[in-house]
Amino acid sequence: MKNKFEEKDKEIELGYKRLRIPFGPVHPALKEPVSLRVTVRKEEVLQVEVRLGHVHRGIEALAEDRNLVQTLYLVERICGICSHSHTTCFTQAVEEIGGITPPERALYLRTLIFELERIHSHLFLLGIVAYEVGFDTLFMFIWHLRESVLDLFEKITGNRVHHSMNKIGGVRWDLTSKLTEEVSNSLNKLEKSIKHIHEVFQDKTVEKRIRGVGLLSLDKAEDLGVVGPTARGSGVDIDVRRDYPYAVYKELKGKFTVVMKKDGDAYARTEVRIFELFESVNLIRAILDELPNGPISIENSAIRLMRMVPEGETVSMVEAPRGELLYFVKTDGRGGLQRLKVRTPTIPNVIALEPMLVGCEIADIPVVTASVDPCMACADRITVIDNERERLINWEKLRRRRKMQ
Amino acid sequence: MNSIPVITTLIAFLTVFFISLFFEGVDRKVHARMQRRIGPPIIQPFYDFIKLFNKERIIPITASSEIFTAVPIIAAASSILAAAIPLTSLMVGESLVGDLILILYLLAMSSVLLMVGGSSSGNPYGAVGFSRNMTMLIAYEVPLFISIVVVSINCNSLAYCEIVQTQIRTGNLLALSRLSMAVSAIAFLFSLPAAAEVVPFDISEAKTEIVHGLLVEYSGPYLALFKLAKASSKFALTFLASTVFFYLPALFGEGASKGLGALCICLGIALILWMLIITFTRTIFARLKIGQALKFYWLIPLSTSVFSVALLIIGL
Repeated sequence: MKNKFEEKDKEIELGYKRLRIPFGPVHPALKEPVSLRVTVRKEEVLQVEVRLGHVHRGIEALAEDRNLVQTLYLVERICGICSHSHTTCFTQAVEEIGGITPPERALYLRTLIFELERIHSHLFLLGIVAYEVGFDTLFMFIWHLRESVLDLFEKITGNRVHHSMNKIGGVRWDLTSKLTEEVSNSLNKLEKSIKHIHEVFQDKTVEKRIRGVGLLSLDKAEDLGVVGPTARGSGVDIDVRRDYPYAVYKELKGKFTVVMKKDGDAYARTEVRIFELFESVNLIRAILDELPNGPISIENSAIRLMRMVPEGETVSMVEAPRGELLYFVKTDGRGGLQRLKVRTPTIPNVIALEPMLVGCEIADIPVVTASVDPCMACADRITVIDNERERLINWEKLRRRRKMQ
Repeated sequence: MNSIPVITTLIAFLTVFFISLFFEGVDRKVHARMQRRIGPPIIQPFYDFIKLFNKERIIPITASSEIFTAVPIIAAASSILAAAIPLTSLMVGESLVGDLILILYLLAMSSVLLMVGGSSSGNPYGAVGFSRNMTMLIAYEVPLFISIVVVSINCNSLAYCEIVQTQIRTGNLLALSRLSMAVSAIAFLFSLPAAAEVVPFDISEAKTEIVHGLLVEYSGPYLALFKLAKASSKFALTFLASTVFFYLPALFGEGASKGLGALCICLGIALILWMLIITFTRTIFARLKIGQALKFYWLIPLSTSVFSVALLIIGL
């Protein structure tokens, strides 16, 4: 088996016309260990192999040894960009099993942080897209703007990245009237700057690089089950916020629209994100207007709440900045977990890279890769890499392995 | 007696070294300010140079080591020489016949040598960088050469000094003297960003695509030499443009158009040209793809330079 692989490698490397380029896991264009093996002929991409598993940390297995409150902080560390999505999804599941209803103000505040996080995540990505096409100035401008969102996070929750806003039965920090004013002030500034950024993205040199590259047709997108802005850029009409509303999205239904583009190229995916920024700004304004008074969490202590959670299982979904994030949670009735399964949006999206990249030029690889917004830290949890071969190991095998050690 | 040329050469080399790295520092500062950053101190390129020179020398196993190590030295020497020749001949007031051709070849030399060095490293990114650099050379060298050829036909000389002298004699900038000269100046300036390998045309080293392409395996002193080569070839190009097309001291009469003062004015114009053409373009554009760059160069600067030849022939 191994020999066959080596022969194939040799054949490709010896052929004068073909060149195999390792793209990642360490590459200046990629902020995370995305690993692509690309076969090229001159500048044309012939074959793409996506390899996962470089930041596998065994979080799902770790979660089984911890109680629910500890797991809440653990799942927050799955990803540094959409940390609030992970905790919201997990808390929702636990609250559903335990029959706990958080107060309404808490739900509003959760949604507020959620949308701020979407703005921060999308700005992060737009900056990277600009950087990939060599437009450093736009990259600096966008990340400068992102800094103001991070400052808001710090003012509201005390942390810039891992906000730790959620707890079982509510949220940890309240929004004072002074903070409300600050948030709405920075929203005004943000909106103005986003308009400017949108104009710059329509600049000809940027457009030349990202329009028409990385095409993903509607059929292919539906086949691969692509989610989030990547899917909406190809004309797939899905959004968890509208289809399966959680938190207060049911109440806010009239306040936002699902942005959709039909082109299916990198530009469409980028533009979907830019328009979603405006939607998020509007949503936050609506939340600030409608914010009800009252407590921000249930009075019982977290430990007591945790012990109240019976044995049970549920599935919880949220629309993370990158798309649908799904948690399967199975509690053991003693404040712990029997099983935690996380399905992050990056898994289907990163697989869609292959049809996008074949036929592109080498110069398009970074920007197309960035346009699906891969978050490898989210994605890598269960793939085992064994030298050249990739093997998928099922849960039973993994559990047996752990016992052996 | 024999020590005079040696001293002159040494002084010229040192001057080019300091000026080009200083210009590079100003470029980085202005670039940063335009991006709303504070930016590095102006003498940062000197720090970089010294720091890189004190680092370990690493030669990859796949590289053919003689070529790999020799190339940076020759590249740095040739591009410094390309800047030193116009600088010294402006000071001395005399130059060899045909040194204009020498300058252009020395300028092309540093990029060709970079290609040789990069492809000798044995890295696949180097190979991609090689083919991209080759394409870029074909794209920008033709208009660059044609515009200089038009100038030398107009002044009836291939000597660099003679062209400057012509401007002093007529008391006018060459670019403003005739329509054909103005058009060829435009073609030359169009070719500058590609020759300097800055953002819209830094395709051969595209950091986010092919990890600096040809430079990927270079580190330490070799990288320092290549950085020096790049800075001094940028300086050589802008200085050439400022003296050949825009010799401003010529406007102040024959007496004031020589010596140190005139040189300083030329250096000032070179810096302004650097800012306008290299720094501004690299700040306000995104990187093009190789096909788009080639198309652009063969569509606009090449046709501009051919147009200047046509204008010269009909006597404008």
